[in-house]
Amino acid sequence: MLVLGPLGFLAPWLLAALAALPVLWLILRAMPPTPRRVLFPGTRLLVGLRDAHPVARHTPWWLLLIRVLAIAALIFGFAGPVWKPAPHLAGQGPLLIVMDAGWAAAPDWAARQARALQALDLAGASGQPAALLVADGAAEGALPFQPAAELAARLRAVQPQPWETRYPGDLAQLLAQAPAGLSVLWLSDGLDHPGRAPLLAELTRRGAVTVVPPQGPRRSLQLVAGDQPMLRMRSIGEAAGALPQILAMGVDPQGAPRELARLKPLQTEPDPGVDTRLVPIDLPSELKNRITRLQIEGQESAGAVVLADDSVRRRKVALVGDASASEGQQLLSPMHYLRRALAPTTDLIEGGLGDVLQASPDVIVLADQIGLPEAAALQEWVEKGGLLIRFAGPRMAASEHLAEEPLLPVRLRAGGRDIGGALSWGDPRGIAAFPPEGPFAGLAVPPDAAIRAQLLAEPSPDLAGRTLAQLSDGTPLVTRAALGQGQLVLFHTTANAEWSNLAISGLFVEMLQRLVQTARAGAASVEAPASAQTFWTPVQVLDGFGRALDPADPVPVSAADFGKGPGPGRPAGLYRAGERMAALNAGGRMQSATWPGARVEARAQTPGTDLRGGLLALAVVLFALDALGSVWLARGRSPRAIA
Amino acid sequence: MNSRTGQDSAGLRARAEAASGGLPALMLSAERLAASLTVGAHGQRRAGTGEDFWQYRPATAGDTARSIDWRRSARSDGQFVRDREAQVAQSAVLWVSAAAGMEFAGGPDRVAKRDRCDLLALAVALALLAGGERVALAGQPPRPGRMQADRIAEALVSRMPLNADDDVPPAEALRPGQRVVLFDDFLGDPAPLLAYLERAAGLGVQGALMQVLDPDEEGFPYGGAVLFRSAAGALRHDTRDAGGLRAAYLARLAERRELLGRAALAAGWHFGTHDTASPPAQAALWLWSMLEG
Repeated sequence: MLVLGPLGFLAPWLLAALAALPVLWLILRAMPPTPRRVLFPGTRLLVGLRDAHPVARHTPWWLLLIRVLAIAALIFGFAGPVWKPAPHLAGQGPLLIVMDAGWAAAPDWAARQARALQALDLAGASGQPAALLVADGAAEGALPFQPAAELAARLRAVQPQPWETRYPGDLAQLLAQAPAGLSVLWLSDGLDHPGRAPLLAELTRRGAVTVVPPQGPRRSLQLVAGDQPMLRMRSIGEAAGALPQILAMGVDPQGAPRELARLKPLQTEPDPGVDTRLVPIDLPSELKNRITRLQIEGQESAGAVVLADDSVRRRKVALVGDASASEGQQLLSPMHYLRRALAPTTDLIEGGLGDVLQASPDVIVLADQIGLPEAAALQEWVEKGGLLIRFAGPRMAASEHLAEEPLLPVRLRAGGRDIGGALSWGDPRGIAAFPPEGPFAGLAVPPDAAIRAQLLAEPSPDLAGRTLAQLSDGTPLVTRAALGQGQLVLFHTTANAEWSNLAISGLFVEMLQRLVQTARAGAASVEAPASAQTFWTPVQVLDGFGRALDPADPVPVSAADFGKGPGPGRPAGLYRAGERMAALNAGGRMQSATWPGARVEARAQTPGTDLRGGLLALAVVLFALDALGSVWLARGRSPRAIA
Repeated sequence: MNSRTGQDSAGLRARAEAASGGLPALMLSAERLAASLTVGAHGQRRAGTGEDFWQYRPATAGDTARSIDWRRSARSDGQFVRDREAQVAQSAVLWVSAAAGMEFAGGPDRVAKRDRCDLLALAVALALLAGGERVALAGQPPRPGRMQADRIAEALVSRMPLNADDDVPPAEALRPGQRVVLFDDFLGDPAPLLAYLERAAGLGVQGALMQVLDPDEEGFPYGGAVLFRSAAGALRHDTRDAGGLRAAYLARLAERRELLGRAALAAGWHFGTHDTASPPAQAALWLWSMLEG
């Protein structure tokens, strides 16, 4: 590109045609004028005569000027004029393009590629060799410097990866073939990554570095595990104004994928340089269970997508009860009521306690079980975050060792209590209103709910603190205690209609759902079986733009690597190991990058105003004027009318 | 000229009306022109039927007694017969070219060459008729009398121009002893005319060539880039500098005149020129003198 003041030309050699303009002037000037037509009987005498001194009638100067201007406009137009073109790279040495290729580079990937191709074109035009360093963690060995034209195809093929930008570690080996006086174009994604500062220092030492900052904000989305999973949205370079919403995508009841809900970011967490906001997933559990992915609206990046796995989705609930009860009448079995209450919102597993522990459920429900043989394993599971819900029943009430029973939130008094039976005084008790700070806060108590029998807790100082729900006489109905990272919950009545009509009320379903939601899903499941060598197999992977793909070649990832987050060989996506499903999400902590010693290109850099169209249009207009002028001239010398 | 032949009958009729309206004017001006010419019979300079005395000659066998001039015979012994000069009414043939170029007039204020030719031809015809000659347009039988003048005038006015650059006088209509006057611009192909003159000389026909030209054709007042076109459009000449051609054109014109003059001389004819800007009487007088001589 040739730059003259504020004007640049893409094809400056075409300007050489301007030298032909004076010649053109002469030729146009001598152009034969339109002859006058004369009727002359003596024409026979003229035939064969030669003009002695052909006198050219001059084309009028204004017509000439229009023509020359039109041709000059054509020449200038085809020379590709650009008003205030984008400035050049610092330095003109061999070109090294560093492309950040993590998920943060995805939103404006096309612009980055275009910018890099432009730099390659320039290098090719000036005959400089070029090299391409794609910072996706795959670059190894010395960087080859090739003629710039051979790199263009490779550059077009590079795609952003669904993991963080990664720079090669061994800089000396990387730049072993690098010639001196490098001219570096660093297409940054605007974030700081490990190894960036050393690479920058090395490159500034070897040549001039030009940094192209990203266009637009960089945002990432992260799942915050907890009792109530939330999302954390971080953004850098966010413009003031409306924040983007989070789209919750999932399948509707018909099975068609669609947008289920839009979540609004709420609170701001203090984090210097990064705008961090929490986004609660405040949705009905029916809806929440159908979410497959959450993404920031309008941000095409793997980092802006959170795939929903077990931690967001349905809890895995194991039901452990009396298997022999199934041989009796169904409506008498506590398992029936539990199954009906939990099946719509959770994944149910049934079986012996030893079997269900292998499936690492989030919640285990024990219906009237006592004297558990796997108490030690169960306790270990609870301490790692499991939620154990137990129901009382005739077997517990009849047990002589009830006081020694482990894994109960409160010590129970043997024997239990009958209210309103044939041999007792008093009426069945109702349920007192739930305390506002408990997990059942806000649930409406049906007035006809009545408890006819219960297990009573031994009075103790912390009984009141452990009581989640109580009867109208103040005796506990549901108690809870923490054990390790997990919880123990006891319903002091049965899960069937034997001791109360609670199990056949809607309240029972709501209470169970509330409890299940408090289970720390996933936390135990991901970490638990590290001892056994688990391999995670990708089921669905994301590309750098956050689009879901089927894994073409599912490579199992060892649990140890899996814990390190996405990287080369383990793209972000959904992974399965046995029955467990876990997501590897790319978005995470962000930090703005600084560029000491490098020239940062102006941010919203315009590529210059292209004047070609205007000049060509001007040429066309001038030619039209020329045609009009010529017609006007010819009209003036039309043949004389003959009488 | 295509526009002319392409006119419908109504247009032709309107033109005929307009032309016949101009007929009296033509007759009038032709009569005035003819009046200036000297009238007389043409002596044949030999004995024959006539009114003028020619000679006395001795009577020979075959002369009737009535033819003997007794007054002259009484003065001598022999008998003399009084011969009279042979006096014949001549037949004159007029021909006016109908070539398309004859319609040319150098400007709106000029007379078309054809109109001037018509005028001259009619004037000569009137003068000849007044002298008792028999006159006709070429191709028609010569007749004497005043009526013939009207017919000639009518034929001249109503004649349609040809759609061609050349018009040739009908050589087959030549008769011995005729006097022929050709009116033309003689700018066409000279070969047919030279052949005609040769044939006329062979038949003993005498006459005159009257070249009528427009001042534009004589002076060539053109300049600059001009596309010249012959009247029928058959010939074209494109030039960028018409002014530079003037000398060459005039030279060619002079050459053509010289060629015609020499050919006329060789055939015993006369060649005269006339341009439409000069008064017609001059040409008429010249013609008359040529016909008389």
